[in-house]
Amino acid sequence: MESILEPKGVCFFAYNNDQLDYVKMATVAARYVKKNLKLPVCLITDEGSEGWLEESHSKEQINQAFDYIVTTNDEMKQNKRRHFDSPWTQFAAQFNNSNKHKIYQYSPFEQTLLLDIDYIVKTDMLLKYFDNERPLCMFDRATTLRHELPANEERFLYDAGIKMWWSTVVYFDRSDFSKLFFDTWAHVAENYEFYQYLYNFPSKLFRTDYCVSIAVHILAGMQETQLLLGNFDDTSLMNMSQKDDIIEAKNDNEWIMVAHDQKEVWKHILVNSSNQDIHVMNKRALGRVLPDLMEALDGNS
Amino acid sequence: MDERLEKALDFSNYALTINNQKRNIRNRVAQLQIVHHLGGVFIADHETIAFIKTLIDLKHKKSIVIDSKNNPITVKKLSELLEKLVDAYTSATTEFDIENEKIKKARNIKKIMDW
Repeated sequence: MESILEPKGVCFFAYNNDQLDYVKMATVAARYVKKNLKLPVCLITDEGSEGWLEESHSKEQINQAFDYIVTTNDEMKQNKRRHFDSPWTQFAAQFNNSNKHKIYQYSPFEQTLLLDIDYIVKTDMLLKYFDNERPLCMFDRATTLRHELPANEERFLYDAGIKMWWSTVVYFDRSDFSKLFFDTWAHVAENYEFYQYLYNFPSKLFRTDYCVSIAVHILAGMQETQLLLGNFDDTSLMNMSQKDDIIEAKNDNEWIMVAHDQKEVWKHILVNSSNQDIHVMNKRALGRVLPDLMEALDGNS
Repeated sequence: MDERLEKALDFSNYALTINNQKRNIRNRVAQLQIVHHLGGVFIADHETIAFIKTLIDLKHKKSIVIDSKNNPITVKKLSELLEKLVDAYTSATTEFDIENEKIKKARNIKKIMDW
């Protein structure tokens, strides 16, 4: 780790692929952080994505979103991910996430909140965890837009497996425990096939959620209880599924969405979501409203 | 479709949507009620507020209080914790009331969505 520049801040990883403009989504997600958490933001990306960021955004837009840009050249695993955009459309794209555990090394902050670029911060709820005594926090539960439990594979590593922790939002400090956690995560990532055999999780995709879940399980002495790890006070990650959609962003806070029925996917209900942090798993849907969100955020600043 | 069934299903959708919005609000209220104090996590609900107030009424200035995670927390100034709890409770219930009023008046899905 190099010099630590600031006490608190937020980091995003964003590596573009041929289907999804991650840096563009990161730009908007960062603006939400600036608005609602008022913290400095660091983008971790590669040369190609950074080049595209500079080409597709003005200097002012980049400076409004990011205080730091860290350029990495890690070799990524081949990792094809199947995405849905509503129940009716799907596509596959390379998902570059195999260096996420290196955040401990890349973050320029003493206390870091690592967010996925599809996690939109609409409240200041996460701020209080910078002052809590837990060195590390992640969500260990999620809920759908319909306030239902997600499918089993989003809750456990397999039907009779260990509980899944989400790497979507990770708060950590520079304590020995945090270092130990990220070292364990790195070990699991490097020996993914072995742990896949041991924990029996599905094989197709390299998921950092599985890596962190196994790291937590190991560090907890193979038990459910985890003394030093927080779960954001039993609150749930609000997941907008890839099969849900955003109909309209009325402004940066209030979104009208459709939420599908998990058993009968053709049935939907409308949901008005505001004042609620949200994990927008349907990235194409997020992409469609990015211009509106950017305009709304510009209007507020 | 039988007109009666069509109307029933419309109402069913309305009920489903309004209940989901109510859960959204309750979820938000529950988050607002979480209070971090001296390393402990407290919920700003009736029980906790009444308990802390009782300790203060009994002339306790400090006390060991079990937090929502079942950890003992030495609270050096009970009055400080009470103030935080009441603040959190008040902002949570105020927001609850405002959002609830909006929903109560909505008689169709479009109105619930405020759209």
